[in-house]
Amino acid sequence: MKKVLLVCSGGMSSAIVVKAIEKEAAKENMEIVVKAIGTGEYDEEIRQGWDLVLVAPQVRHRLTVFKEVADELGIPIDVISAQGYSPMGGAKVLKQIKSLI
Amino acid sequence: MNKFFEVVEKIFMAPMTKLAEQRHLRAIRDGIVSTMSLIIIGSFFLVIAFPPIPALAELVKPHIGKILFPFRLTMGLMALYASYGIGYSLAKSYKLDGVSGGILSMAAFLLTIVPQTVKGIGWVLPMGNLGGSGMFVAIIMSIFAVEVMRFLQTRKIMFKMPEGVPDSVARSFEALIPAAVIITVIWVIRHLLNFDIQVFIMNLFKPLVTAGNTLPGVLVPIILITLLWAAGIHGVSVVGAIARPIWLVLLDENMKAAAEGAKILPNIAPEPFFQWFVWIGGSGATLALVILFLTSKAKYLKQLGKASLIPSICNINEPVVFGAPIMLNPILVIPFIIGPVITGILSYVAMALNLVTRPSVLAPWTLPAPIGAYLATGGDWRAVILVLINIAIMAIIYYPFFKIYEKKLLEEEKEQAKSTS
Repeated sequence: MKKVLLVCSGGMSSAIVVKAIEKEAAKENMEIVVKAIGTGEYDEEIRQGWDLVLVAPQVRHRLTVFKEVADELGIPIDVISAQGYSPMGGAKVLKQIKSLI
Repeated sequence: MNKFFEVVEKIFMAPMTKLAEQRHLRAIRDGIVSTMSLIIIGSFFLVIAFPPIPALAELVKPHIGKILFPFRLTMGLMALYASYGIGYSLAKSYKLDGVSGGILSMAAFLLTIVPQTVKGIGWVLPMGNLGGSGMFVAIIMSIFAVEVMRFLQTRKIMFKMPEGVPDSVARSFEALIPAAVIITVIWVIRHLLNFDIQVFIMNLFKPLVTAGNTLPGVLVPIILITLLWAAGIHGVSVVGAIARPIWLVLLDENMKAAAEGAKILPNIAPEPFFQWFVWIGGSGATLALVILFLTSKAKYLKQLGKASLIPSICNINEPVVFGAPIMLNPILVIPFIIGPVITGILSYVAMALNLVTRPSVLAPWTLPAPIGAYLATGGDWRAVILVLINIAIMAIIYYPFFKIYEKKLLEEEKEQAKSTS
């Protein structure tokens, strides 16, 4: 079971992408937990044991701040590609997730 | 066109996002955002006190004073709550103790007030500047408090507790010297030298607040936000970091006037103005575009329209911005930037002429725009009409560009069908 944390501005739009990823993962029988959070919850949530952090493209300017904490905890972190960040981009993000963990 | 985006990214985006990520601005943003739940719920008591239905208004009239207490103790103390949040966030960003940073900031802010005695009650704090109008005072005092903390800590001027002392105890001792410095300095300035820190800071920021309420003051954030989104960066989160304190001061003045029963409110451009009248469906007013997508002959656009309709009604437009995509798309980005300027001007004029009530209530941003606009204006049906007109205008502006883009996609879909068959 892999646990992926997805950060966007308010945790709203990433919730839509989470659905798309889960749908795609179910197709492939891949066991995965994805949680969407807003940037404000990041500092607390990141310490709850995650395997990977994905940053929504619209908050990629904050990557350096997020990366500092992620590096400290040894958790890989990456920005989701813009094409992946839509209700139809599930397959793309899942591929990205697989390449990272 | 790609050159254009490169230039935008280089000379405009990089410094903008850097500014928004600046430590103090980030602390201000996070600190203020942490008070939003109080402001949203508190401002709803304003709607309850002045309901849009006349019969109901008559009914609650004798109880207005009592109904407004939650409003006065949330909105009316907004700067006080924010000072804690800002101090907490800033201290955390320096890896100092967050709670101490918050408490010291709150004290620094409160010390700028002169308590009064009221016969029969005793000492009271005048609340006038503890709300939105004192926001800039809260910001400056919080930064002062945490910077003092940091200055003393980095120079090792503090009590060091021996190991084994519980964290919470050690923490309160470590905050002793910063507290002494902060309290003494402000006490000397405010109460011994009788220098009014609040008035000084408020006058300093007054031009900024006044400018924020003018037409250019409305259009500049609109253009900056869509330009940032055109490059795929969350525009409101960047621009809001700088503009939100101004928007809150404007909102506070409107709320105060509304609570006194004023018919015409002083300001046009607090944040709800942008939220409900310009950003219908999200930044770039993309709800209209999504509706156009639903009618599209291109399979991809139609499917995207269906998938993003409900999020768009709730003003979540990342699915469209990244799905269509609008970002870095030389065709769709043009109406995305131009459209909101036009609806922004129209809405501003409508409110300047008092054809539509000016916003005084902060409603949750995920509400559908007509409902949000109705609540934000304290229940003005003309606000709903303005929203619908703006959606229609946006549809007209998006239409030709949507058609050009659709044609391009249809050709691509045809090519694809050919190559796979």
